Amino acid sequence: MEKIKLEFDRIHAEIGKFYDKKTWHFMTLNGVALDENTLEVQWLFAKYESGEIVALYTVVDYGQTLPDISDIIPSAVISQREMVDMFGINVQSSEKGLYLDGDSKDHPLRKERS
Amino acid sequence: MSTTTKAVDMQIPLGAQHISLLEPVKFTFTTQNEKIVDVGSDVGFVHRGVEHACSSKFEFKQVGFVVARICGLCAITHSMCYTAGVEKLLDAQVTQKAKYLRTLLIELDRIHSHMLCLSHTCENAGFEAMFMSLMGDREPVMGLQEAITGNRVQFDYITIGGVTREFDAQTAQKIIQVLGQTQKKIEGYIEEFQNNWSLSKKFEGIGALSPEGAYEYNAIGPLARACGLQVDVRNGLDYLPYKEVGFTTITQTGGDIHARNMVRLYEILNSIKMCRNIVEGLPEGEIQTKVRGKPQGEVITRLEAPRGELMYYLKGENKKVLDRVRIKTPTFATIPAMIEIFKGQDYADAPAILASFDPCLSCTAK
Repeated sequence: MEKIKLEFDRIHAEIGKFYDKKTWHFMTLNGVALDENTLEVQWLFAKYESGEIVALYTVVDYGQTLPDISDIIPSAVISQREMVDMFGINVQSSEKGLYLDGDSKDHPLRKERS
Repeated sequence: MSTTTKAVDMQIPLGAQHISLLEPVKFTFTTQNEKIVDVGSDVGFVHRGVEHACSSKFEFKQVGFVVARICGLCAITHSMCYTAGVEKLLDAQVTQKAKYLRTLLIELDRIHSHMLCLSHTCENAGFEAMFMSLMGDREPVMGLQEAITGNRVQFDYITIGGVTREFDAQTAQKIIQVLGQTQKKIEGYIEEFQNNWSLSKKFEGIGALSPEGAYEYNAIGPLARACGLQVDVRNGLDYLPYKEVGFTTITQTGGDIHARNMVRLYEILNSIKMCRNIVEGLPEGEIQTKVRGKPQGEVITRLEAPRGELMYYLKGENKKVLDRVRIKTPTFATIPAMIEIFKGQDYADAPAILASFDPCLSCTAK
């Protein structure tokens, strides 16, 4: 797996530049809690032809708001909603309530919970 | 005096519990007359927190058995995908015989899973007799799983370093015999699905996705292959011997319910061929190798489950409990494509379209 770091304010632009829908298959959005305050966010892609895997990633504080990339990758909508539920992070245009109740205060996959 | 008819938006829910659904999922269709113009979805009714449990409560050696319980139908693909990841992190070597046996069970699983989906397609078409016939013909395949592993479903067959059992010559003979019978049955079903009006013409052009749409919405599995995309993780997989045992990517071009049915039917034939090749060419050797150490680093593994790409991301920090287990299941990834396909279809076709996706909510809300 190749990992490419994205600057926070360049996430949308860099994903737009990288993603070609006939070359890359968007697998999912992944979160890895690093400590109680920060989260590594990964946009995971697999190459259709070779299966090569690339993770575009950035490190964010929980207070930051991730950009919505569904205008570039429409199927990202559902994994963005999952991130909001599981990590309690904000993603533009994504509401809580996919798995948890919409008013739940919980964020099960943060470090502080485990 | 003239009258005019005005199209009025009407919201019709399908689910969370519905006669045509096996699992809890809710789609809210906005319709104008009979046409679906918008779709809302709610897929989180049975969320069980498996990812959290696997990175907090269970040691990495136990997680393979936990993830096998995400889904009754594709338990083996979950345990295989997880185990392959751990073995990569531990740099474990698995014997060729164990790899062959793992592939055998994954393909037997695909056969009966596809047969279940096809039987529900028949049920949705009002073809009750063929629904029961397919379910009946699926039973001997489940019987083979029991003969090999000791259980019909949720068999904890794959472990880190290999598999738990091998089979004797008598069981090998039984496998070949059942595969032969199943092949004949499937060839008959192909004839029916091609030529019987209830299953062919009725479904042609219904619930269709274009190849362009398949790329746009990252379609996977039979849904993508029915659109002509050569998308199958079994191509080029390095930890299972698919090339050696005769794997072929099956595609169709219609992109509709009928094309998805045909992809599944021909994939069953290919799986039967692979299973036969495995049993007849099973390598000599041990089925289990000792693996030591604790997982360190991060890895992504993928496997073609019956519904499409299954992905595991694992991160270990040289501890007994993994730091992160991320599971991306096929149905979860397919929901945006499903929603797009529903738009513009007649509401009356919604249950049949939904069944043709072969959705697994147990996997989705893991």
